[in-house]
Amino acid sequence: MSFLKAFQYKRRNSLIHRLDPRSKFLLSLVLMTFSIVFIDIRVLIAILTLQLFLIGLARALKEWVYSLRGLIFFIIIIFITQLLFGGTLFMGIVLSIRLIVLSSSMSWFFLSSTPEDIGRAMSSARFPIELTFSFVMAIRFIPVIYNEFQSIYDAQRSRGLELEKGGFRTKVRNLMPILIPLLVGTIRRTYEIADAMEVRAFGASPKRTSYKLLKFKKGDYFLCLVSAILASAIIYLKIFLGLE
Amino acid sequence: MVEITVENLFFKYPDAEKYALKNINFTIKEGESIAILGENGAGKTTLAKNLNGLLKPTKGSVKIDGVDTRNLSVAKIARKIGFVCHNPDHQFFAETVEEEIKFGLKNFGFTENEIEKSLLDVLKTFGLEEYRHKSPFQLSGGEKKRLAIASIIVWRPELLILDEPTIGMDYAQRLNIQNVLKNLVSEGKSIIVITHDVDFAVSLCRRAIVLSGGEIVGDGCLRKLLSNPEVIEKASLRKPFLIELEEEIGFSVIDEDFDSISESLIRVFDKCHS
Repeated sequence: MSFLKAFQYKRRNSLIHRLDPRSKFLLSLVLMTFSIVFIDIRVLIAILTLQLFLIGLARALKEWVYSLRGLIFFIIIIFITQLLFGGTLFMGIVLSIRLIVLSSSMSWFFLSSTPEDIGRAMSSARFPIELTFSFVMAIRFIPVIYNEFQSIYDAQRSRGLELEKGGFRTKVRNLMPILIPLLVGTIRRTYEIADAMEVRAFGASPKRTSYKLLKFKKGDYFLCLVSAILASAIIYLKIFLGLE
Repeated sequence: MVEITVENLFFKYPDAEKYALKNINFTIKEGESIAILGENGAGKTTLAKNLNGLLKPTKGSVKIDGVDTRNLSVAKIARKIGFVCHNPDHQFFAETVEEEIKFGLKNFGFTENEIEKSLLDVLKTFGLEEYRHKSPFQLSGGEKKRLAIASIIVWRPELLILDEPTIGMDYAQRLNIQNVLKNLVSEGKSIIVITHDVDFAVSLCRRAIVLSGGEIVGDGCLRKLLSNPEVIEKASLRKPFLIELEEEIGFSVIDEDFDSISESLIRVFDKCHS
């Protein structure tokens, strides 16, 4: 669950934090497209370097490094799959970097944008309020679910559950005593929140107003320009240079 | 039997700036009944989790029968020290109450015969027989709490730590838990109760460890500590009903050994009549 830390907003006073979430999201999408379209290690390393620069500007390198611990499980699976299906060690490394780039594409955005700002950005893009609210709630509840996971894990360890023991199948089976209470608790909380919102007249008024409106600044226009240049680079590298 | 020694314990959570526990020192001997009291955020649950190895000290040490918890697995400690967390929903996952109770026993490698015998005993003790084949998620708040305690007591740990055991319980259920825990103490088992319910603490425990801001502000006889206005204020507690009554009428209602309740009550009535 530690990889969730990379998607949890951290309050900091940084240049990246002050940017409009819409311009940051645009750049995130472009960076993500790079990791999906290309498998060339040079491109992936270049994008990872840019992402690290952005995460560094957002002063969230510590959280990013912490989140890598959570990706170790998936990286191991990549290497095992490569070994089982005739891949190479080099391809395992490339795919692992690709996974890190894919995860980092969104993590710098979530680390530096408040759930409220993301909601405002979605509203300004005319997403329905129900969808916007659900999305914002989902982000806001990441730390709550993480803490609940920890409490459940502690409770089951206190009853002698040892996740570290046994083979792969045993480990997966041992996860059930943690995942079931987590799922039940989350569903129950969903109903409670829905009730709490209803009694406070959520959805009663068809037209909602916003206390704070988002406004593009110079930095945002610059970020959009960078996104456009990078998007053009994707087309150039893929179509004209034929890079994989 | 189990003995816990806590020496110069300091604990800090990974992302925190301040210590949650500071310079904690005490020893728990067999057969002791201890209440851990203090305001919200005083460090009570953090201390309990350090005692059963879920958390390891940042500085200092917690030793169980002379062995540092850093060198013991949580499962190994759990066999001796049972921990009932405050939210029962955090531990239920099985389809039936029976399976929920059996979970710990299976983890500790009990035989089928032992599991069946322990299950029947604990179902009877906690009045859960009629719910045996029901889903734990269908139980009421109080029943869930009883099941949570039952699913730990079932393997008879030497020391039982209960985090807020009386929350959400009606008087009868509270009394039932109180009696079960008193029986455990009379069998020589140790219990630690983390609670804000001072009346429950007085009815069950002899000793109290009072925390405030992660530090011990009182360790000793529970009744004496709860008569100390300074400790009460520091830990945001209130005086238990019995102690208030004693101060009002001018003498002790319950003797030190807790056995002369009827005699004490006669004295109260005499005092009221006179």
